[in-house]
Amino acid sequence: MNVSITGPRILMEIDVFGYFRISITQTVLASFAVMITLCILSWRLGKNLQKRPGRRQVLVEKGVSMIYNLVSDTMGSHNMRFAPYIGALFLSSLLGSLISTTGIFRSPTADLSTTVTWALMTTGLVWYHNMKNNGFLGWLKGFAQPVAVMTPINIVSEIAQPISMSFRHFGNIAGGSVLTALVYGGLASLSSLLLGWIPNALISSIPILQVGVPAFLSMYFDLFSGGVQALVFVLLTMVYVGAACPPPQENELPAGSTPAA
Amino acid sequence: MAFFTGFESFIGVNFWTCLFTLCNLIILTVVMKKLLFKPVKKMIDSRQQEIDDMYASANESKESARQLRAEYEGKLAQTEAESEKILRESYRKAQLREEEILRQAQDKAAQTLKRADEQTQMAKKRAMNEIKDEVSVMAVDIAAAVLARDIQAGEHTQMIDSFIKHLGEQDD
Repeated sequence: MNVSITGPRILMEIDVFGYFRISITQTVLASFAVMITLCILSWRLGKNLQKRPGRRQVLVEKGVSMIYNLVSDTMGSHNMRFAPYIGALFLSSLLGSLISTTGIFRSPTADLSTTVTWALMTTGLVWYHNMKNNGFLGWLKGFAQPVAVMTPINIVSEIAQPISMSFRHFGNIAGGSVLTALVYGGLASLSSLLLGWIPNALISSIPILQVGVPAFLSMYFDLFSGGVQALVFVLLTMVYVGAACPPPQENELPAGSTPAA
Repeated sequence: MAFFTGFESFIGVNFWTCLFTLCNLIILTVVMKKLLFKPVKKMIDSRQQEIDDMYASANESKESARQLRAEYEGKLAQTEAESEKILRESYRKAQLREEEILRQAQDKAAQTLKRADEQTQMAKKRAMNEIKDEVSVMAVDIAAAVLARDIQAGEHTQMIDSFIKHLGEQDD
């Protein structure tokens, strides 16, 4: 049984004037595929909207208003402008996790680069809005609240936040793929053990147990875990960014008060 | 440029991958906002607006219909009261008129009766007078007859008889 666990394959490396080297990995390819798919879907589903909706439009409206409701419930109705970003993030994450089931692409969410980028995006949004609302010094002061002793803890929690978010998402998806690979390997060994008594080498090498059994695993790791992780990531993003963007009239939430992940 | 040069590390961050992912996410956000979220939201909002308008106008017309109905019901009640009043009035008038007619008729009847009575009395008086006249004439006749002749007992009887006979003839 040999199972090799690697990161995404580097498909192409481009040297730019010898200064730096751009590597196009499987992650980038899948990420583009996800982006293009979602863009085309948006374009197809967003045009020809009617006052009296057809069946397709009803579903589209349902989905869009679900995201709007989620945003309004979690972040407040004054933060509805984040809905497209949240929708894009959720669908990227979900489709990114599911795209591996096509067998052509490797999940972009099983690459730490992707989830780190998304988590840093969340942190960037939080910091940007904190600075915008409280000023740069106000943002810095926010770390010393509620008491100055809390400053190191607040700083650690601020740094831990993107790390925990990105590793949670990455770990769930990548761990699922690792586990699936291990089970595949194990099932291959088991079936060769089962069929080993057959003298014909061709027949005895058929990994019969690999048929069907991993489907249940895939159901959990790809469908369930992918969906849950997309939702969790998006929810955390909404909570953090929503806390940084309080309702216009009461501007009292301190900057460092975002809960630790 | 090189192809399939190997694998990334399993847990590692590649700057270029991060950059591409970031670009993808931003592009996707912009595209979804422009092509999906804004039009759909606009459509939902405009439909909601339309429904709200419809409900508002429906409520308005319902309210006005209710008002009209109340108004008409009030008018109807008023008319009914009025017609009842008129009816009662005319009934009262009719009753008065009836009484008057009755009284007039009674008066007239009484008058007629009285006049008839008077006429009867007059006729009676006249007849009495006539009789009296005749009797007086008769008495004068008798007196004349008595005075004209020397009446003998036998002759008296004969004369009276002839007078009465004569009277009867004259009466006829």
